[in-house]
Amino acid sequence: MKNQITQYETHLNRITFFLNGEKITADIPAGISTLDWLHTKKHLYGTKCSCNEGDCGACTVVIAFPFEGIIIYQAITSCLYPAAKLHGKHLITIEGLGSPEKLHPIQQALLTHHGIQCGYCTPGFVLSLFALFAMQPHPDRKTVFSALEGNLCRCGTYQNILNAVDELSANQNVKDLVPAWCRKVEQELFRFQEQDSMLVVKTEIPQQVNCYLMPETTKQLFDLCAEHPESVFIAGGTDIMVQKNINRKEFPFLIDLTAIPEFNRLYLQQDGLHIGSAVTYNQLWESGIVKTHFPVLHNLISQIASQQIRNFGTLGGNIANASPVGDTIPLLMVLNASLWLQSQLELRHIPLKDFFLAYRKTALQKGEIIKEIIIPPLTEDNYVKTVKSAKRQSVDISSVITAVNIEYKNGRIINSALAIGGVASIPVLSKKFPFLLKSKQIKALDPAAIGKEIESEFEPITDVRGTALFRRELIRNHLILYLQELQEAENEL
Amino acid sequence: MNSEPYHLSGTLHLCGKSRFIADEPPLQGELYAKFLFSPVAHSLITKLDISAAEKMPGVVKVITSASIPGINQIGTVIKDEPLFPEKEIMYVGQPLAMVLAEDEYIAELAVNKIILKLEELPAIFAAEDAYNKKQGYISERKIESGDVETALKNAPFTLQGRTVTTGQEHFYLEGQRCLAVPFEGNRITLHTATQSTMEVQEVTSRVLGIPANDVIIEVPRLGGAFGGKERGATIWACMAALAAFLTKRPVLVKLTRSEDMHYTGKRHPFTSLWQVGYDENGKILAYDLLLLANGGAYADLSMAILERAMFHSENAYFIPDIRIRGYACKTNLPPNTAFRGFGAPQGIFVMESILDKIARQLKIDPLEIRQRNAYQNGQLTPYGQEITHSQLNNIYAKLAEKANYSMLKEEVAEFNKHNPRYKRGIGITPVKFGISFTTALLNQGSALVWVYIDGSVSVSTGGVEMGQELSTKVAIVVSRVLGIPVNQIRVESSNTQRIGNASPTAASTGSDINGNAARLAAEKIKANLTQSAIALIAQKYELTVFPEDIIFSENKVFGKDFPDAYITFPELVSYAHTERIPLAAYGYYKTPGLWFDRDKGIGHPFHYFVYGAALAEVELDTLLGEHTIRKLFIVHENGNSLNEAIDRGQIEGAVLQGIGWCTMEDLIYDEKGLYLSANPSTYKIPGIRNLPAETYIEIIPSATEEASVFGSKGIGEPPLIYGLSVFFALQAAYKEANPEKELSFPATPESLIK
Repeated sequence: MKNQITQYETHLNRITFFLNGEKITADIPAGISTLDWLHTKKHLYGTKCSCNEGDCGACTVVIAFPFEGIIIYQAITSCLYPAAKLHGKHLITIEGLGSPEKLHPIQQALLTHHGIQCGYCTPGFVLSLFALFAMQPHPDRKTVFSALEGNLCRCGTYQNILNAVDELSANQNVKDLVPAWCRKVEQELFRFQEQDSMLVVKTEIPQQVNCYLMPETTKQLFDLCAEHPESVFIAGGTDIMVQKNINRKEFPFLIDLTAIPEFNRLYLQQDGLHIGSAVTYNQLWESGIVKTHFPVLHNLISQIASQQIRNFGTLGGNIANASPVGDTIPLLMVLNASLWLQSQLELRHIPLKDFFLAYRKTALQKGEIIKEIIIPPLTEDNYVKTVKSAKRQSVDISSVITAVNIEYKNGRIINSALAIGGVASIPVLSKKFPFLLKSKQIKALDPAAIGKEIESEFEPITDVRGTALFRRELIRNHLILYLQELQEAENEL
Repeated sequence: MNSEPYHLSGTLHLCGKSRFIADEPPLQGELYAKFLFSPVAHSLITKLDISAAEKMPGVVKVITSASIPGINQIGTVIKDEPLFPEKEIMYVGQPLAMVLAEDEYIAELAVNKIILKLEELPAIFAAEDAYNKKQGYISERKIESGDVETALKNAPFTLQGRTVTTGQEHFYLEGQRCLAVPFEGNRITLHTATQSTMEVQEVTSRVLGIPANDVIIEVPRLGGAFGGKERGATIWACMAALAAFLTKRPVLVKLTRSEDMHYTGKRHPFTSLWQVGYDENGKILAYDLLLLANGGAYADLSMAILERAMFHSENAYFIPDIRIRGYACKTNLPPNTAFRGFGAPQGIFVMESILDKIARQLKIDPLEIRQRNAYQNGQLTPYGQEITHSQLNNIYAKLAEKANYSMLKEEVAEFNKHNPRYKRGIGITPVKFGISFTTALLNQGSALVWVYIDGSVSVSTGGVEMGQELSTKVAIVVSRVLGIPVNQIRVESSNTQRIGNASPTAASTGSDINGNAARLAAEKIKANLTQSAIALIAQKYELTVFPEDIIFSENKVFGKDFPDAYITFPELVSYAHTERIPLAAYGYYKTPGLWFDRDKGIGHPFHYFVYGAALAEVELDTLLGEHTIRKLFIVHENGNSLNEAIDRGQIEGAVLQGIGWCTMEDLIYDEKGLYLSANPSTYKIPGIRNLPAETYIEIIPSATEEASVFGSKGIGEPPLIYGLSVFFALQAAYKEANPEKELSFPATPESLIK
């Protein structure tokens, strides 16, 4: 860890937003998380900190903001959410919902169903449920699991919480669940126009982040890059903030990309789906285009992290982060995804498979960012699937993640691709796989033999997420799974 | 189902307004403590230079072993653990120095400026290695009944083996913390997240060299503990106390999740070596067991945990000839400590895996073999305590009926026949759990009850509220005695000035001990008030009522034949006060009839047993090693529950912790003893999707004469054992695909596709 006490001037961000119904303007330390801000600057301690890395949900709060013509309510893990992003939004914390004398209906249901034991996770559950019911008054079980899988309760009150949810879902109207003061703020959110401004304050107190910049145009962005070449880019922040909170890494300059409209676009063109690098997982998941044209991506997203993370984590961040176990990468690779990279002087196009160079090292040059991810249209007859293996079947990072894309006609394979994460320092495409399958009859494939062959192509390592042996076994078994499924589908014809 | 009253702190919790230590604005002048933790497992300290750290702006003080005014010793059962090691480091993460600064981040930066030089020594991490070197805290312990060697020789069949269970991280959502605030003179108040106020007070005063009455312990409530704060809180409370004592400023010690996971003790991993003899009917004739508990670097509670493992080794089965030996191994891991179940799950796991082995060997149904071996009333445990109120026969019958067992078995067999990839399995696990601290002296407790003149009531006990709703249960008890509504009763924080010498809130005894103490105190007040009630009723209604006919009910007091001639409780209290009748009482309770002779391994260590059984059905994906729990049936005997909804919540929560331990919670260390899965992104505890798809819990009442307060029974730990049924169900499914292999513990996807 570098000690940079007086090397840089420390900045504050002046932002304006709503906190539990009240409009406030605050000067916030650069890069401070929403949770730390609530605790240290507002002395609001109802929001709990338990893991400080987005994995437990105790710090869940809700943000409301306009999106495509409506106000949406989203649960987020406040420990990873940079407070600077609150500008123009409504932050709802446990202090805003109900009082011991007059509980909110969600709180009342949790009380009478004994959905509380030690109480430390409770505010987080209440807020996750608030976001859920604000958007969807009668959620099905699947949606409820999605909404709550990011909230851990070590006392194990989940069943009672589900019972409370069932009662709410059966009896409540959305108008009773979103309080009037929230509705009132909604109007103001639509009208919100204040610009955020930056204050520069010299201070002797060391901070991990000296300056948090939020450009609103690409011109501003690249001007800032030129001015501060040591800047690190931040999109959702679900990884940068973990590095900051847990690894105690220092970031002198952080440039947030999410306020730039171009990076938030999601649209379909002839050459495929264009995903701006600041588009969140949840936007992708909710998108009708993705649901219709890329169902395999839609399904995969529901297996990534938790709702609270998907609400601000981005696909662009997942790629730029270059984790060897990035959940989306193998699928994007077999779909022949490509990237538009942008810097002050240049816009260039690069296939995703050429983007990863070495462990956490990418083709991005200094001052260059991912502008868009492009996924070409799926062909009708392709078998495309991705399988993620992890210790826990939700909210976990993969031990191994694979994806295949097999193009076939009349029972015969034309083209195929297999990509794997978790078996090398970067996500990789199998060299053998297309060769082994080329021109073969599907019925004649020997899944076990192919699995064994592919397994021998890789030299996975043993780490905390699994032994090398386990990873090899997973590679083989994933292959068996894909090929057997393909054969079954073929047999049904 | 009696589900009211609801959680006494429920409305506060739900609004984020309940008080947790350190989740509040810092005090004026409060300092933050950060630690230098040992990077190695076993080493000599050759240099510890704090001068550069001390000079950093914003740093107030750096504390090491040299700063301790009293005795550098925080051990209790065995005094073997220093607060800071002086020469020899014993585990990765052992605190070596503490930096105090005005700002948390400055404290962190200053820790990096401490210069540490080491001379590394060989370290031991495995229990068996320690056992082979005779590296333990005390000599081997033994409980023996009959002649196991002869019985093994004569048994028609024998098996032997080695069984391993791994540790478990507590993962209380509220991490370890203590806020120490200096008070007048040398006195100090510790707001500490502990299950054990007496221990923190005793050890802190020893370290500071001041009398216990100079140290005030205050525990508002805990955000989960599960045993991890029974002893685990002591070291951090001592740190905060020492720092506040030396700086005369408030000091906050608050571990981050990562520090908490890295450096605090966990559930004991056990390695067990065993031999068993049985007949063709699957009846166990002889059992010879050696339990090796991996205690970590210091004794902590390892002896007591080992002892409870030994007491539960035969689980719910009568075995005529049995020898249980146990050894608490000293290794270079952070000192392992109490965790819900306290050794019992480890002992029971061995027995249950043996029964499944025998059942498979002899092709006997797994439920049938458990019924054949079940304890019957009148039989003696290996330590000589008579089984008097076992309902095991009834429990097994109900379980089979609830689960529609024979049909379920057929369904599973049919499914497995037609599915090469997915396999289903059934697992059955009963429990007989002994309630009481096995260290008899801990089975005592106190309560202090005040009735204020408006009729509202304040109750203090030595018990600590940590989500188990001890407070709600104590309030129910007092409400029943005084005939007043629960919302008129406040159950206070645990504080040594009100209740001293409190045993830890642990061993599922919280409501038995503290509830009974509160009951006795309330009964004293009731007796006093009865005399006043007779006088007041006579005055008001010109009625003569005998003391034995006075009834306290629904906030009223009246003669049993004259319910309309009542006085209200507040009216009575106000009158009693004017008549100078005492409105407070101290209640003291000790659990009757407990004794145990450790040398002979004989006694009556438990007040009573709790019985029950669980049946789990799982489906395993043999390709991916993933599984779902399709059904979980539980039949649990529970005395006369004070609040069935609370007890159900305890069952569900304990089961899920048991399932987590057996199926996903995987502690991974490197070869140097550094714990690698020390964060929630790599150490997985059950989430909402890990609930069984269907859970059926039937709570059956039982004879109350042997139970505790108002016929209720302890509930915290016994149901954790039901989680084991999921492991055995997975093992059954796994063996469908791999008949020759054994499933290793825990049953992670990695184990399940091995």
